[in-house]
Amino acid sequence: MTGLSKVEISYIRSSLLSDPPLRADGRAPEDFRPIAVETGVAPLANGSARVSIGQPRAGRGHEAEGAGGGTEVVAAVKLEVDGVGDDEEGGKVICSVSCSPAAYPHLSSPALDDLQSDLTSLLGSVLSHPSLCPQNLVIVPGQKAWALRLDTIVFADAGNVVDCLMLACRAALVDTRVPSTRSVEYRAPGRQSGTLNEVPDDLMDVDQSRNGPSSMLETRDPSSAVDFELADYWDEGKVLESRDSWPVCVTLNMLPTIHFLDATSQEETAVPLRLHTMFSFPGGKPTSHGMRMAGAGTSDMTQIGLLLKHAEKYARNMWIGLEAKLAEEEARRSVKAREKFYGGRRR
Amino acid sequence: MSSRIEILNDGGLRSDGRRQYELRDITIEFSLQGHADASVTFQHGLTQVLVSVLGPHEAKMRSQTAHDRAVINVEVNVAAFSTGERRRRTRGDKRLLELASTIKSTFEPVVQTHLYPRSQIDIFVQVIQQDGGLLPACINGATLALAAAGIPLSDFVCAITGGVHSTSSLLDLNTLEENDVPHVTVAIMPRTERVALVTMETRLRVESFEEIFKLAIDAGKVLYMEMKAALQRRTLTLVTALGSGSKPATQATVFDVDELL
Repeated sequence: MTGLSKVEISYIRSSLLSDPPLRADGRAPEDFRPIAVETGVAPLANGSARVSIGQPRAGRGHEAEGAGGGTEVVAAVKLEVDGVGDDEEGGKVICSVSCSPAAYPHLSSPALDDLQSDLTSLLGSVLSHPSLCPQNLVIVPGQKAWALRLDTIVFADAGNVVDCLMLACRAALVDTRVPSTRSVEYRAPGRQSGTLNEVPDDLMDVDQSRNGPSSMLETRDPSSAVDFELADYWDEGKVLESRDSWPVCVTLNMLPTIHFLDATSQEETAVPLRLHTMFSFPGGKPTSHGMRMAGAGTSDMTQIGLLLKHAEKYARNMWIGLEAKLAEEEARRSVKAREKFYGGRRR
Repeated sequence: MSSRIEILNDGGLRSDGRRQYELRDITIEFSLQGHADASVTFQHGLTQVLVSVLGPHEAKMRSQTAHDRAVINVEVNVAAFSTGERRRRTRGDKRLLELASTIKSTFEPVVQTHLYPRSQIDIFVQVIQQDGGLLPACINGATLALAAAGIPLSDFVCAITGGVHSTSSLLDLNTLEENDVPHVTVAIMPRTERVALVTMETRLRVESFEEIFKLAIDAGKVLYMEMKAALQRRTLTLVTALGSGSKPATQATVFDVDELL
């Protein structure tokens, strides 16, 4: 994203405004560059994904193949046990974006920090929303829950970094496995034979006769579980609930007459006005998670209305593509894991 | 306090199944990323480090340039998910700054900076996963990245950790061993037979130092063979690509890769 001269800017803009619209790499205005998605890149994390737009890496074993030059983002999810406040449900999602200085070599350190916090707040405003918080992040109701920390690193930026970030976040969240826990209850000796009694999560029901509600005003059933333990050390766990509610983002770059998708960094500099829209399609129904207009410039109501309709269409295509790829990744990894486990023994 | 996992058991095996002097697997991948002139993913066992080098260019801040040589700028970033427990390190973290300045002072005599006065060479290190041996992995990755970026070096720099566990010496420690055992990091320049870096932050008996130092030097030479082979493979790929695009190969275009390195 070296500075573009006025001539270059007007060249890019006039080519886009011509009929038919022309782009430097010959794409149509709605075309994306090839997107590569890979899950499970950080084995220490509970879920992770790498997404690169444009020039995807050719894969292991191909050295110096010219892979690179696109936008590359790695996202990883780590779950930490956290105490829960009195009136909170429990479980929260916290995002952070870290920009590698190699991705923005022309930016000074404070400018890089500014960009980081910008992207963090954009991501956080969408993903940390309480309505998106999955139910199975709660371990011991009212006391302990998982705090889901989503860390993303931008390794390279060749334009359209927000779309790439949201794709990586969604892929990492879908890939996340929450360790299964069992609630543990301590009972005073004398009532039961042992002092420790394990109560499986799904079968837990509070014994009303033993410690009934202390007053008529108490409407919550108090859970007597105070601690938890991991059910199985080697089992990776269950997937996050409501996986199909995490949104994808489509960024529409706006010119007075047309709009286009997936801008390269030069196109981004030449056309600064853009609209980030987040959509998810749980059960096929479109749900909007937010939108943000960025860059210098103004637009009008009719244009924004039209853009939103188009954005939903583009987002649906992206969603379908991502879902197919993620299903393929899951299948590939479970086959690989099975082969690794059984492969030597079958012979 | 005794740990449940033995550093070195009676059969001579360590906690991850290696022998005393056995090094972990090394994987080297060259890739191009963004604006970097060269980018290497160096994986040493479970420690994975991505090093990008931006070749000599005009310095961002004029005040930091030297009139007769290039200035090397190293920045280290550790991913929050790199260790077992998530730990977010900000850019100004003291440990990271110390790591960066160690790498810088290791490479200052090696890179031929006098060829590029008033310019800056950037080395960006991104730690993706760490399991012990972080400084050696960064140094080895930086050597390969500098070589791949075409920056003239007087020699390779190969680094390795070594430790002493109650009279037995161990090479190439992982996290478990680093926390338990006094260890030293040695970086050598294999062809010129010089030592570029020796650091130790724990307490070690003086008698045991000589043995582990010699062992580390031998291990550095082994690493050199691996790194050189990887770099040669990559250069061969590039040369083949160059040759296939031009006119039929003549004597002038076919040249021995060994002579280049």
